[in-house]
Amino acid sequence: MEDYKFLFKVVLVGNAGVGKTCLVRRFTQGLFPPGQGATIGVDFMIKTVEVDGEKVKLQIWDTAGQERFRSITQSYYRSAHALILVYDISCQPTFDCLPDWLREIEEYANNKVLRILVGNKTDREDREIPRHIGEDFAQRHGMYFLETSAKEAENVERLFMEIAVELMEQAKCKELPKYDGSLGPINGKTSSETSCCLRS
Amino acid sequence: MSLTLLLEKYDVSTEEGLQKALNEIEKEECEVNEALSSALSRACTLEGRLRSASQAYSKLGEVKNDAQVAADMVDKTAALARDVSAKVRQLDLARSRVAECQRRVHDLIDLRVCSAGVEAAIKAQDYETAAAHVSRFLSMEPGSVAAARARGPDPRTDMDAAARTLRDQLRIKFEEAAKIEDDASVERLFRLFPEIGRAEEGVELLTRHLAAQLEASLRRAGQSRSGGAVFADTLTRALETAAATVERLRRLLPPHGHMLLVQGLRGLQPTVCSSVRRIWSELAPRPRFRPPQDKPDPLRLEPALSELALALSRMQLYFNFLRRRPEVTVNEHDPSLSEEARAESVRVIDRMIAESDMTLTAQEHLAHYLELERYFLEESVNKAIKLSAGEDSGAGLVDDVFYITRKVIRRAISTGSVDGMCAVMNEAGAQLERAARALRKGLSVTPHDVLPLAPPRTTPAPAPSEAELYLAHLAEAEAGAEWTERLATEACVEAEAAVRASAGACDKLRSCAAGLSGAAASFRAVTELGVSSLRAALLPAVTAWADALVDPDSDVDEMCVTDELSEEAGALPAALDTLADTLRGRLAAAGDLLLAGLMDDLLTRAHRTMLRNTYDRRGGLATERRCRRVSLWAGTGAPSVRERARSLSAAAALLSLERLEHAPDALPPAALTPAAARDVLARRSDFKLEDIKRLKL
Ligand SMILES: Nc1nc2c(ncn2[C@@H]2O[C@H](COP(=O)(O)OP(=O)(O)O)[C@@H](O)[C@H]2O)c(=O)[nH]1
Ligand SMILES: [Mg+2]
Repeated sequence: MEDYKFLFKVVLVGNAGVGKTCLVRRFTQGLFPPGQGATIGVDFMIKTVEVDGEKVKLQIWDTAGQERFRSITQSYYRSAHALILVYDISCQPTFDCLPDWLREIEEYANNKVLRILVGNKTDREDREIPRHIGEDFAQRHGMYFLETSAKEAENVERLFMEIAVELMEQAKCKELPKYDGSLGPINGKTSSETSCCLRS
Repeated sequence: MSLTLLLEKYDVSTEEGLQKALNEIEKEECEVNEALSSALSRACTLEGRLRSASQAYSKLGEVKNDAQVAADMVDKTAALARDVSAKVRQLDLARSRVAECQRRVHDLIDLRVCSAGVEAAIKAQDYETAAAHVSRFLSMEPGSVAAARARGPDPRTDMDAAARTLRDQLRIKFEEAAKIEDDASVERLFRLFPEIGRAEEGVELLTRHLAAQLEASLRRAGQSRSGGAVFADTLTRALETAAATVERLRRLLPPHGHMLLVQGLRGLQPTVCSSVRRIWSELAPRPRFRPPQDKPDPLRLEPALSELALALSRMQLYFNFLRRRPEVTVNEHDPSLSEEARAESVRVIDRMIAESDMTLTAQEHLAHYLELERYFLEESVNKAIKLSAGEDSGAGLVDDVFYITRKVIRRAISTGSVDGMCAVMNEAGAQLERAARALRKGLSVTPHDVLPLAPPRTTPAPAPSEAELYLAHLAEAEAGAEWTERLATEACVEAEAAVRASAGACDKLRSCAAGLSGAAASFRAVTELGVSSLRAALLPAVTAWADALVDPDSDVDEMCVTDELSEEAGALPAALDTLADTLRGRLAAAGDLLLAGLMDDLLTRAHRTMLRNTYDRRGGLATERRCRRVSLWAGTGAPSVRERARSLSAAAALLSLERLEHAPDALPPAALTPAAARDVLARRSDFKLEDIKRLKL
């Protein structure tokens, strides 16, 4: 059994094509995948990071953006510790859909979930959404905000690391019992004890 | 010695001096002679060595000559060998040329036969022979054909023309046979295409023919609608028909044709896709369940759900069937095929499946199924929660929810879709947590007299009806944790067995199953909450009992003091028995947990009170008897409680001593520390403090 003290579930949502999969792959594998297909349903990646000398396991769920996968992806909202909502700064429609995504988050996610708005593809020349518009939107809806480029590896590490740090702080302030490394993933202690910190 | 030195040393002017000098000279002469002779003798051996050295030198010269000769010989041999191998090479070349010449002669003969034969065979509609001629022509060395060309008219012109004619003829005949569904001719003609170097074209024709036939039978399959599960049955029949066609295609293909198979599968797939889409959009059950307007009873959705799950699994099965076809074919005909070639064919099939419309249909289907399943699950759990809140028995919430979630998870597993299973497990976890929350609500207020433990010398009030309900809720929470844990394990095992999936899919399944055990933790938390509420509710009674246990004012008469079975001493064990009996029927581990907690409270309080009371011997005796009975009672309970009861009983024994000096013998080993024992002894009004201090314990 891998030893880690905290396990957090991070779920990425947003329209298809905004670069969710690329962000995850950049962070977990350090690469920008050339022309992979659209995500089917839900994909699952793990990366263990270190925060203040403590091992934190991030379980990252990458979802498909299309409508027909909605009933699959929605089922992951409830147990998420952090939700990353992604749009493409060079594609207005992906920004216009944000309210729809927020409605979905309101309906299915825990109301204390950590929410981060991410404008991706900052490397592109044809920006359509100025930074401050995204920032405003995030502020109005009580979300953190960050602009990234999965292609140029800009702010990607920072995005996930800040999430880990923030969740870790929340977990610590709630004094939750620490994950006991001897328990298997089935044993439930992992998710429930870490999740209770965000819901209690 | 030199002469000058001699002359200096001796006086040669005198005879004596002369004589001495002479002697000296003679002596020296002697020495010189000796040295000379030894030098001479050495010169002799030196000469010998010199001789042998010169002999060796001359021998060396001979050896050198010999070596030279040998080297020359080796050179010559090498040159010879080179010569020989060159000759052998020439020989080989000559022989292969002869073989080539022979082959070419054969080719030329065959070419003449072919050119002459092919036309005739085509005219005679003997396509097998014609194809054999073309095949022979195609297998000829280009050199042979070139050689033939050099001698006369280009034979290729004729042969190519003949091959084209033959191909056109074969196509026409094939189409004709296909039209009248003359399968025997179709298959015979199809087998000729690879021979004339047009295997792909043959597969294309055959696939088109098979697709047309499939289309017709799929339409027929779509029309005969009978029985209950029309959608799932029709889809099953359609996919079985498609699979039969695929197998027919596979049988007709030449061995080593795994890429031709892939081509054929691609050709058939669109027909299958459109049929599946048609069946899906025409027949799939679509019950209306848009809350809040349409809120059908969840039970009414069950047939539709089963059917959708079954249909999904059929599609999944068909995909797996397609995926395995290249491997099966290769293992039958071409087991030596390289791993890369095998992987490539699987990759092509996977891509074809991923891009096919049937995949899209399956995804829409899955979405529809999941939506319906979520409604079913939520509504069923709603019903169970409402039922358990309304009924006075209160039993059955966890039973119901567990039954529902298990059914739903099993149904999701039966679809064969990993994403479907994961989503349903996630939803099931959410519903189980809801059930746990509902129980928590039921446990938030502890009813009066929930358990039969009244303060001493009172009779317990009859338990109110809410009490049973409360205990039932607690029992449910307890069972909930256990059931949910079991459900998580079971779901994981069953799902992994059902999909035999990749490592990534298994991780996904395991992680979602872990979410279920998250719900188990919620149930455990609710159980703990209930237990500690009960403990708090019983605290007043427990406190009263603790005080009575160590009460120093004994109004019991002498007779009773010696009676081991006195009613007074047995009152607490009897009350505890009643309590334990009540718990035993209603709670499992939570009952033991509660009892241990209560005993902990009781013994702690009793010990503390004892150290505040003052006892005479009589009071000590009564206390000792009561405590011994409690210790006896606790003997079968949790080890920690047993230990504490033993030490309380030991303390009480000290209070009942006739004389202080008996204390060391009365103290059982390790029951009390010396300091604790002295504290207890100090509570006896008739024991002197300084005596207690002096006591060796
Ligand atoms: N220029 C640029 N292109 C990106 C970036 N991230 C993703 N893409 C491209 O956007 C497309 C969709 O990416 P993908 O990760 O599959 O999007 P998803 O559907 O949200 O998972 C792909 O063609 C990527 O190459 C980025 O940071 N910069
Ligand atoms: Mg993606």
